[in-house]
Amino acid sequence: MSDITRNILERIGRLQAGRDTASNTRRLRIFLSVLVVFMLVFPFLPFVNNYWVDVGFLVGIYALLGLSLNIILGEVGLFNLGQAAFYAIGAYTTAILYNQFNIPILLLLPISALVAGGFAYLVASPIIHLRGDYLCIVTIGIGEIVRITALNNPFGLTNGANGITGIGNPNFGLFAIRTPTQFYYYIWIIVALVILGLINLQKSRVGRAWNYIREDEIAAEANGIDVRHYKLIAFVLGTALAGIAGNIYGSKFMIISPSNFTFMESCLLFVIVLLGGLGSIPGNLLGAAIVVIFPEIFRQFASYRLLFFGAALVIMMVFRPEGILPRRRERGGFNGLGISKIPKDEDALLARAVENAATIAPAQAAAPAPVTARGGGRLSDGSFVLETQHVNMQFGGLMAVSQFDLKVREGQITSLIGPNGAGKTTLFNVITGIYHPSSGKVIFAGEDITSLKPHQIISRGIARTFQNIRLFPSLTCIENVMSGAHCHAHSGLFPSIFHAPGQQREERRILDLASYRLHQVGLWEYRNELAKNLPYGKQKVLEIARALASGPKLLVLDEPSSGLNDAETEELMGLLNKLLAEGFTLLLIEHDMNVVMGISDSVTVMEMGSKVAEDLPDKIYNNPKVIEAYLGKEE
Amino acid sequence: MDMLLEQLINGLAIGSFYALVAIGYSMVYGVMKLINFAHGDLFTLGSYLGYTLLVVGSGWITSTFGVWGGVVVAVLGAMLGAGAAGLLLERVAYSPVYKAGRLPLVVSALGASIFISNGIMAVWGPRFQAYPVESIPTGSIMLFGDIRITTLKLVTILVSLALMAIIYFVVERTLFGSAVRASALDREAATIMGIDFRKIILFVFFVGPALGGLAGVFAGLNYNRIIFNLGWGYGLKAFTAVILGGIGNIPGAMLGGLLLGMMEALFEGFVSGAWKNVFVFVILIVILIVRPTGIIGEKIAEKV
Repeated sequence: MSDITRNILERIGRLQAGRDTASNTRRLRIFLSVLVVFMLVFPFLPFVNNYWVDVGFLVGIYALLGLSLNIILGEVGLFNLGQAAFYAIGAYTTAILYNQFNIPILLLLPISALVAGGFAYLVASPIIHLRGDYLCIVTIGIGEIVRITALNNPFGLTNGANGITGIGNPNFGLFAIRTPTQFYYYIWIIVALVILGLINLQKSRVGRAWNYIREDEIAAEANGIDVRHYKLIAFVLGTALAGIAGNIYGSKFMIISPSNFTFMESCLLFVIVLLGGLGSIPGNLLGAAIVVIFPEIFRQFASYRLLFFGAALVIMMVFRPEGILPRRRERGGFNGLGISKIPKDEDALLARAVENAATIAPAQAAAPAPVTARGGGRLSDGSFVLETQHVNMQFGGLMAVSQFDLKVREGQITSLIGPNGAGKTTLFNVITGIYHPSSGKVIFAGEDITSLKPHQIISRGIARTFQNIRLFPSLTCIENVMSGAHCHAHSGLFPSIFHAPGQQREERRILDLASYRLHQVGLWEYRNELAKNLPYGKQKVLEIARALASGPKLLVLDEPSSGLNDAETEELMGLLNKLLAEGFTLLLIEHDMNVVMGISDSVTVMEMGSKVAEDLPDKIYNNPKVIEAYLGKEE
Repeated sequence: MDMLLEQLINGLAIGSFYALVAIGYSMVYGVMKLINFAHGDLFTLGSYLGYTLLVVGSGWITSTFGVWGGVVVAVLGAMLGAGAAGLLLERVAYSPVYKAGRLPLVVSALGASIFISNGIMAVWGPRFQAYPVESIPTGSIMLFGDIRITTLKLVTILVSLALMAIIYFVVERTLFGSAVRASALDREAATIMGIDFRKIILFVFFVGPALGGLAGVFAGLNYNRIIFNLGWGYGLKAFTAVILGGIGNIPGAMLGGLLLGMMEALFEGFVSGAWKNVFVFVILIVILIVRPTGIIGEKIAEKV
């Protein structure tokens, strides 16, 4: 027990640790030690009777439920307002199996988790792709379906509105958990274990993937996150934990009924997560304590307490919408990433990463022969790395892209230009799998990638940036860039929960790679800033670094220079040339003719969804069709 | 056959309540992208306001204006009261939270919902209240065949349909309505085009709850008993109706409400009353899987 607490203490301490202020950290440590000691001795304090020990138990249950929803809502941003359903399923599984087959309660603990998680998998699979509010209403519906089903007593299993009584106590051999104090320790040991696992998860590839999805689903998918897969993992894991809470609740109170699992219950859990702060574990515990203890304190105003509670929620959201204890990820520095055996000094880490660049970021296809002048007649040499063949993209009656053949030569810079609304970005979206073309094919490195999803395409070697910046705004710059490397790692849920050695090796490699790329684009000093705090020009470059971290063969940039000033544009061109020398192939959409003419090897012109011309840059300049597309026909 | 027609008429009545409440959800969702969880509670508030007017002034109002006059007074009072509450709600709970993002807004809406329903409980008590018998219109009319419909039910359906027609006309056929629709599509662009977004918000937060309040009074008159958390069930069904018809689409909300009411009544009449809500939510889920844009919603490709 003391080992566990010390561990929690350290980890929570590290989580909350200020970057610069050691005294801050120390004060927090002291506060947390006092809190943990207080919780350890709580049942034995002189003024604490069994009633208050039970309140302490309930805080534990709601902490567990809050954490379970926090995975779904806090980490991934899935609006789940039906979490009580899965809590109910855990409780009913326990009650029914115990009463029918007399299976030991403790054995039913994992079974309840499995049943709740399994049910969640079945119902979530077809709906997990739904957007926020739709998912919200569907989960409310699921909550009601489960509650009404329990109420209707199907096959005489649930005993209707009266609920099921006579659920037994958990026991280890002869030792049974019975008294309030025993239950108090029982629930808090489980909460502590769950917290340890969650802290590790938050600081892993899986946890970051969840956060990427919460911040921007499309950018996450485009950066190699299998969005559906990670959403389902979160949903199943979160609901399984709720199932565990159901088991413990049932074994403690020995009676469960549909009235324990109403919509109000789901609302309370939602509130716990938001009150504490999205994805914040300390916030979650505080939220649980508030939700349970607040009504106890206001017991004499019984009929008004929910009135106060509702008003408090509104006031809270008006004055502190981010929650009471939001997770401050920018504070911990690289320490906060939870990766073991990395140098304390971040610059030392960078130096090592740069030194090993050759091994961590394997060189692209050997750099092409040095080019004396850009656009110097290289139209014929080199093979095509990307080809679109007769691509059509139709939206309703609009043909956004029609019969388009785009060819990109390996080791060159190809620019796609055309008036606004010509369909350039749509074509990029087809290439990167965000849209699937109505007809036609996309061939990359000899493989037909037409029907692949974005996260599969980036792992094949095409990485992109977006016209309107799509970073992960509330994550740090280094975390943003690490997303690019996601597709080259493999550690799943369990290695991440335990921070297994192999997983840690992968994390170190991802960090090295991200550090190297961040340094390469000149943003190293901003590594621990939140992406949303960077100025516009730096955000654009950060997006390029993120794309580079995936180690692509082909880099697809959608208007990289738009919104940049002259100096920044100059720097950008320098960077693109460096990348070309490193062996990357580049495909750009660009409006700035200085950029296009300055660095392109070949230019393709698009108008009204069709190809107008494809040629060397200087020839494009004088092509009458191109002039017409841009300036209109001369009368 | 008679049973079928009877259930269809019942469904039409309850469907018009869903539809009227759904309009409010849909309008608010359109301009704020928010599920206004407190909307169902404004429906309850309207129902209680109507109840209070009828109880307090029952002798005087009913004797002066007759039973139907009493209904008119109760309905107008409830509409004004619920509408005013809607404006207050927006000012206090939504407008200050708007820029904080969608999740805080949802929590604020949940908080407001809890506050209003418990406020109603604090004022009117936790038990069921019954609309006074003497103020409920009686009498019935023979329809085709030997189907008998109470005058009240007929009026309920006709008034609801008429209001829906008016709302439809305003939203789809007038300049102001196109401003509402434009704001729903793109708030910023609409503002740049000179649309006063505040005005749209005020309209939406007055008209939606007012329609809800009207539905609340008619629900009280038709089913007699009301309770402080009545709005939660109606609200949830109404929102299901919104999705059924296509979110943010006002004619869709009306159609969805009527359809949902009739499907529910048929299921209740021919299959099972206890499972009807399960049936409704299963329909909801199936629709979202098969046709997430609703019956008459249009697919909007997300801009990347």
